[in-house]
Amino acid sequence: MVWDIAKRELYDNLNSLRFALATVLLLGLMLTNAVVHLREHPERVQQYRERVSGHQNHIAAHAESSLYDLAQQGPGDLYKKPSDLRFCAEGGETFMADRAVGGYHRWSTGTLKSFWILTYPSATPNRDNVRPEVTKVDWGFIIGYVLSLVALLFTFDSISGERERGTLRLTLANPIPRHTVLIGKFLGAFISVSIPFILAVLVNLLVISTSSTVHLDAEAWGRLGIIFFVAVLYTCLFLAFGLLVSARVQRSAVSLVILLLVWIVFVVFMPSTLVSIAGRSTSSGPTYDLWERSSKLHGELRRDYSPRRHKEPEGTTKRMEMDGAYVTEDAEQQEQLHEERLTRRIAEVHRARAITRISPVTIVQNLIESFAGTGFERHLQFLENVQTYVREFRTSIVDTDNADPESLHIFGVRTGMSQEPVSPEAVPKFEDTLNLSKDFNTAAMELLLLTLFVLVLLSGAYLAFVRVEV
Amino acid sequence: MLKTLIRRELLDNLMTFRFAAAVFITLLLVVANTIVLLKDYEQRLTAYNTAVQESHEELRAEKTYSGYSGTLVVHRPPNPLSIFNLGLDKQVGNKIEVYHAFVPTIWDAEKHGADNPFLNLFTSIDIVLVFQGVLSLLALIFAYDALAGERERGTLRLVLTHPIQRGYILFAKYISAMLCLLVPLLISLLLSIILLTTSTTVALNTDDFLRIGGIVLTSLLYVSLFYLIGLCISALTRRTSTALMLCMFVWGVLVLVYPNLILTAVDIVPQPETQISVYHQIKQMWEKLDREKKQFIRNDAVLGPPSRGGEDMDAGFGLEGVEYTFWQGEDKPSILLYFHQTGLYAGKIKAESEPQVPHVQDYYGFYNRETINTVQRTWLVRKPALEAIYIQPANLGRMLLRFSPGGLYDAATEAWAGTGLEGTQDFFSTVQRYRRAVVDYFYDQKIFESRQWFAADKGTADWDTLPQFSFQRSDTGINAKRALPDMLLLLTMNVILFTVIMLIFIKSEV
Repeated sequence: MVWDIAKRELYDNLNSLRFALATVLLLGLMLTNAVVHLREHPERVQQYRERVSGHQNHIAAHAESSLYDLAQQGPGDLYKKPSDLRFCAEGGETFMADRAVGGYHRWSTGTLKSFWILTYPSATPNRDNVRPEVTKVDWGFIIGYVLSLVALLFTFDSISGERERGTLRLTLANPIPRHTVLIGKFLGAFISVSIPFILAVLVNLLVISTSSTVHLDAEAWGRLGIIFFVAVLYTCLFLAFGLLVSARVQRSAVSLVILLLVWIVFVVFMPSTLVSIAGRSTSSGPTYDLWERSSKLHGELRRDYSPRRHKEPEGTTKRMEMDGAYVTEDAEQQEQLHEERLTRRIAEVHRARAITRISPVTIVQNLIESFAGTGFERHLQFLENVQTYVREFRTSIVDTDNADPESLHIFGVRTGMSQEPVSPEAVPKFEDTLNLSKDFNTAAMELLLLTLFVLVLLSGAYLAFVRVEV
Repeated sequence: MLKTLIRRELLDNLMTFRFAAAVFITLLLVVANTIVLLKDYEQRLTAYNTAVQESHEELRAEKTYSGYSGTLVVHRPPNPLSIFNLGLDKQVGNKIEVYHAFVPTIWDAEKHGADNPFLNLFTSIDIVLVFQGVLSLLALIFAYDALAGERERGTLRLVLTHPIQRGYILFAKYISAMLCLLVPLLISLLLSIILLTTSTTVALNTDDFLRIGGIVLTSLLYVSLFYLIGLCISALTRRTSTALMLCMFVWGVLVLVYPNLILTAVDIVPQPETQISVYHQIKQMWEKLDREKKQFIRNDAVLGPPSRGGEDMDAGFGLEGVEYTFWQGEDKPSILLYFHQTGLYAGKIKAESEPQVPHVQDYYGFYNRETINTVQRTWLVRKPALEAIYIQPANLGRMLLRFSPGGLYDAATEAWAGTGLEGTQDFFSTVQRYRRAVVDYFYDQKIFESRQWFAADKGTADWDTLPQFSFQRSDTGINAKRALPDMLLLLTMNVILFTVIMLIFIKSEV
């Protein structure tokens, strides 16, 4: 019986104007998305490869010179791997740095040189700052905005329209339980929305996978499957909402007005307004000028060490130890400073993101981002990878130094460390990886929230329809 | 007759649910966002004020004139009208150095230290954006059944049995719907202006109210255009449900899809070749200056030939008592910025070095003059290159956006608020003029070849007579001139659409 109702709904919809319009709209968007991805992605991958080999050359060059050079110059810039699924969610990647910087020269006095530290540069989209700001057309946009609108347009009159035409009374005169009618209608609408969406997704993936320049591996397909599932869940949310309002309201025009206004508030405006509120409550406070604090800290340290260092004559072990302590302490301090600033910034974003979860579109975009391997959570993962690597790199330096019996094991001074060249193969290389299970963990909460939203709205639609008078 | 018609339509519209919903939603969104935006503006203003104060004190602390590099910083005040249209106001840097060795541009500006770059991840909102989304939707909701609905109910036939011209009916419908749409627009704007005037930090002057008036006028044209689009669809279709569906899709495409789609599809990437060649050209000019500088030192009887300082004589010119040297340069190929400056700060100059001082002064007079000339030459290359690489693609994007009414509306209101590209460029041209004024002042006062340029032992730099930086937003007349083309386009589209609807409606069978 459910199936009969769903089939009737489906046939009704397939012949309608909205079905044709939705198909054209979704197909056009997805096709553009695929073409743009094919145009841009190979360049990104190529750039990443060049940069990785640059990083390896950097290590090789300094390793061959000496261990001190390697430790002082560091492993060079560490780059973020571009995700193959960037077409699913752009994730504001342009606003986040694509690298963590290691090894730059801060100061030198005589024979002493500053050790490299890990810093987190902020992306400077300076060159883009005169362009008009728009959202990139990615899956996140298509699903979040367009698909939800389409879902509402397919359900707004499904109950109120029948009531207006009087056919609802006719249907209910038959011995069918009301929930069967509701489920049938839901399924019918669901299938009619899915058809254009699936069609568009297939065309999109077909274009992308047939191209020779972009390659999707098995894991990427798995991720795409999850993203598709999220999209389905999200569509259900709006279908259920449409049914709920349609069941409660007498006229379909009123139903659509309500739906659209709620949609525009929750989907279009709510996220930005909430972020502004959150951003306001967090970013006030004293200005945090990194460079000022950095030079102040270093100045204090220099004043602290300078007289003690100069008391010892040049070349003695004591002086070397003092110098080494100066250099390493400075590096630790400065690195901590950078990390502090990063932590502060991340905490701010976390707060803002937590608040925006009220809007379903933010939830779904966050989910798509995390499964596509772009966006903020991915950036955090990258930073974590970098920090793990840096620990590994440092341990390897210490180990190499310990292995050399002739070394004095004093870090921070050229003469105190192993003089042997290091084989470049022995130095760990940085490789950025994406981890699906980790992504799943970060996304689990949001997935749960989305499911909860759907369940609440579905039961709301059920209650509304069961109690309504025809 | 017209009056009766308008009254009927007005009453019809005013008593509907959609009118109540329209007023409620617009008020809710506008007021909520005004409060948020106001706080945001206040915060930016505070940051600006602190930054100005800090820079002022930092400059005063410099004892030599050459120390002004990096400390003579001017700040861009936030625009109070950015509450209406944010435009580029937050996107563009708000802190820029004034130095004789480069011409400041919009790309050289930096952000204040407190800004969190990650917050760019979130989209920002302004009142025009709210209007752009909500009012267009409301206009379509008011319009979709204006003709199709009456035709369905049969009342249109009834009305036309009376001796009334069809144009009158159309006109009455248009006027009454516009009046209804004006209510939420004006009430919400009024409330937001009240909120603005109660805030102590926002000082709106008469010019600002004129600009807001311009924004209201543009909003009116925009809403009217969407109403006419809805009316056109309504005149063309037989059934209201079809009209409604078409309206919603048209809205989705024009407001939501088109602007994002077109800029994603047509993404103009700057050509790296011109960038690299221009950058090298600029670099060569600076290398030439470096050679000239060394030549000058070598030719000078006292300073050259190189002795203690090595080839690059700036290590001290053999002046006894030099504290430290300075080196300044910028090297940002992506924005074609390159300059290179060397020099020294001298603390106390010992008596035996005194005879050398006039020669060093001579040298700095020459070096700074030549630097400024070099900057002039590089600017001739850099300016057109920057425009070709950044401004032209951005303008092309803006032009493409104008194919949707939303883009026109945004561009016109940006021009009124002065937050668009031109309005923001105003600030940077003021900074460029200010740099010129500072350089002229240094020339007039013979500061470049003075002892205070590099030494602070006999008299320190006097910053009080330095020209002050002040920035005034452009005149309302200029704002209007910039907004006019887009507003005229909106108006023309309105007129054309109205004529089309008229033709359709007159010819159509009831």
